[in-house]
This record gives sequence, structure tokens and C-alpha cells, in this order.
Amino acid sequence: MLAAFEFPKINAILRWKDLFSSFNKISLIAVAAALIGTIVFLLAGRKNANEAPKGVRNLAEATVEFVEDGIVMQTMGEKGLGWTPFLLSLFVFIYLCNVPGIIPILQMPATARMAIPMFLSLIVWVVYNGVGFKHQGLGYIGHTIWPPGVPAALKPLVGVIEFISNIIVRPFSLTVRLFANMLAGHILLVTFALLTEALVKAETKVYMLKPMAILPFFMLVFLTAFEVLVAFLQAYIFTILTAVYISGAMEGHGDHDHDDAHAAASH
Amino acid sequence: MHHAVIHLHGTTVRLVSSEDATTTAATGEASTESQDLSKPGPIVPELKELYWGGGSFVVFALLMRVVLYPKLKKGMKARYEGIRTAHESADAERASARAEVADYEQQLAGIKSEAARKVDVARAAVEAERADAIAKLNARLGEQRAAAKAEVEAARAAAQSQIRDAVSDVAGRAGELATGKRPSADVLNRVVNEVMAK
Repeated sequence: MLAAFEFPKINAILRWKDLFSSFNKISLIAVAAALIGTIVFLLAGRKNANEAPKGVRNLAEATVEFVEDGIVMQTMGEKGLGWTPFLLSLFVFIYLCNVPGIIPILQMPATARMAIPMFLSLIVWVVYNGVGFKHQGLGYIGHTIWPPGVPAALKPLVGVIEFISNIIVRPFSLTVRLFANMLAGHILLVTFALLTEALVKAETKVYMLKPMAILPFFMLVFLTAFEVLVAFLQAYIFTILTAVYISGAMEGHGDHDHDDAHAAASH
Repeated sequence: MHHAVIHLHGTTVRLVSSEDATTTAATGEASTESQDLSKPGPIVPELKELYWGGGSFVVFALLMRVVLYPKLKKGMKARYEGIRTAHESADAERASARAEVADYEQQLAGIKSEAARKVDVARAAVEAERADAIAKLNARLGEQRAAAKAEVEAARAAAQSQIRDAVSDVAGRAGELATGKRPSADVLNRVVNEVMAK
């Protein structure tokens, strides 16, 4: 009978020895992600643009159109197209940091560590607050913490809630959503991989134990395929939320009221 | 005792059988490594990851903003513009061809109409000519018929005159032979005329 499966400590599956001083595997993946993204777009830019796109240019153009049509136009409209390079960078960088989680040898998403999601969330936080102040001036604070139609008596309470929600929780949730999803996926993959290996290598007289390794192995294959989707989905969610936050900061509640008034008048 | 031992990054995974509660598998813990991998905790951001990851993203985002995206987008726009121009050109060609076809059909309809009109005019002219020719022919036939009739009448009159003269002569001779006296010309003429009138 199987009595115990000792799982390695969490840091054992998340941390590696430094490749050299101040440079570890996560750093390597992040640098590689930026390099691969740069090389892909650089090569795509060198291809003859007048020919029908194929290969690397097709890939780059499809990514650009996905970000433009699937994210920017859906959340910000045409006025947000200027943000495409930033959102494209976010999407590509996060995706390329996520994907190593299922690439043999690397087998670690760089976003399953706190540093990169936190840095990206802080960048996004700075950007959307900066955009808010640029477009709405100091009124941005009021628009952010007091949604339209809040009774005066509730403003102090709602103000605190909205301030915490918009200013503090947003970057935190962005960070944790990406980090936790990728970490969970990584731990699941490690768990089923180790379980498969442990069953295969078990020194036991229970002859049915080794064939049962097929079960965690199938789960490992399924989760690997699932992580392909998760890698894309998390990059997409992070990017589209960034677009939503920037769009909200550009418009503010006042603009919504203005639009609503126009819509009501037109009806 | 049954157990599997798997090494992972300096730690050990053990699968232990319940038949033996004691495990003697060696655990090559991280303590043997020079670098302490147990710190910091899994949710604490590491500074080196922060600046390498952040730096990579910032450089990538700047390159994307300044070089990569504008160049790619410029090519895309140029191609889309080319495609749009080609479409517009094709639309113009199609419209021109349709206009030419319409013009041709209009000309064809005009020509057909003109041809029909000319056929009608020709048919009317032919009809008029035919009627005229028939009328002329009829007139000529009438004249000829009248002339022939007059000729026949003249011939008949001449023949009657000759017959009358011959009959008068024969009758006068016969009367002369019978009576020894030639009847007068008036009597002969009256008698011959009465006989011939019957």
C-alpha cells in the first residue's frame, strides 16, 4: 500500500541556482522573452510588406491585429490605437514569459515568480494613473473614487471603498492573478510529473503500482495542453485589463455621463 | 522496505511503502549547496528578477514603441493601401466596363430601332411602289382593253357594214331577178337592217 508521497519544498520547484552572479533562470527567461519578441518583430519588419505575409511576418501581423481588434478596439475604441505598442509589448512579453512553463528543459514560467508580474502591474498602475491625471487633471481623483450618482451621504464610505479598489487592489489583483495562475499551473505540472516518476521508479512488490503511473501521466499531458491555453489566456487577461484601466482613466465618469446625456438626447 | 527516490534541484521526493515505516533514503538537501535556495519565500520578489525582468520589458516596450511596431505597421498600412487602391482600380474598371456594356447595348438598341425603322420605311416604299405599279398596270390594261374593245367594235362595225352591203347586194340582185326590177336602196337597207337586228 502507498502510504506517503513526500513533495519537495515549494522553493525547490521555483528556484534554481544562479546562472551567474545576479542572474538566474527567471532573468534568463525574461531576457529571452524580450529578445525573441524583438527578433520576431525585427525580422517581420524586414520582410517585403507588399507581398502576402507569411512565416514570421504573418505571425507578427496576426499578433498586432489581435491586439488592435481584440483588445484595443473592444475596450478603448479608435482613440486607444496609440496605446497598441505598449499593449502589444505587454501581451507578447507576458506570453513569452508564460510559455517556458511547458517548454522542456526550461519548464518554468517566469511569471510564476512574483517579481515580473509585480513590476508589470506597477508599470500599468503608473501608466493608467498618469493617463488619468493627464486627461482629467486633479478631477481624476474625484472621478475615480466617486462614481456618478452616489448620494452625498455615502460619498465618504464609497470614496474609501473605490479608492482602495481602484488604486490599491487593481495592481495587487493584476499581480496575483497572473502570478498565482502560472504558479498553480507549474505546481500541478510538477506534481503529476513527480507522481508519474515516483510510481514508475517505485521499488515495490505491489506489481499494480507501476502501471498506475499512466494515470498521472495522462493528467500531466492534459495539463500541459491546458497550460498552453492558460499561457495565452493570462497574457490576454492582463493586457485587456490594462486596456480597460487606461480607457477608464482617459474617459472618467464625467465623459460617461456626457455620453449618456448625448445618448438620451438622441433617443 | 519499498521506496522510490527522485532528486529534484537538490531536494528529494520519496515514495514510501507502508510495509516499512522507516525510510532510510538519503536526502541530499539543499544544505549541501553553496547557494541557499530556500530564501526568500516563494511570494517575495527577488531583486535580480525584478531588474532583469523589468529592464527586459522596458527595453522591449521602448523598442516596440520606437522601432518595431511603427516599421511593421507602416508595411501593413502600405500593403492595405495597395490592396485598397487595387480594389478601387478594379471597381473603377468594373464600372467602366459596365458603362461600356451599357453604352454598347444602348447603341445596339438604337441601331436595331433604326434598322427596324428603315425596314418599315423600305417596306412602305415597296408597298407604295407595288400599288403604283399595279395601278399603272391596271390603267395600261384598261387602256389596252378599251383599245382592243374599240378595235373589236370597229371590226364588228366594218364586218356588219360589209355583210349589210353584201346582203343588200344579194337581196337587190335576188329581187331584181325575181321582179325584174331592182328594189330601191332605202327598201333594201331597211329590210337588211331589220333582218340583221333579229
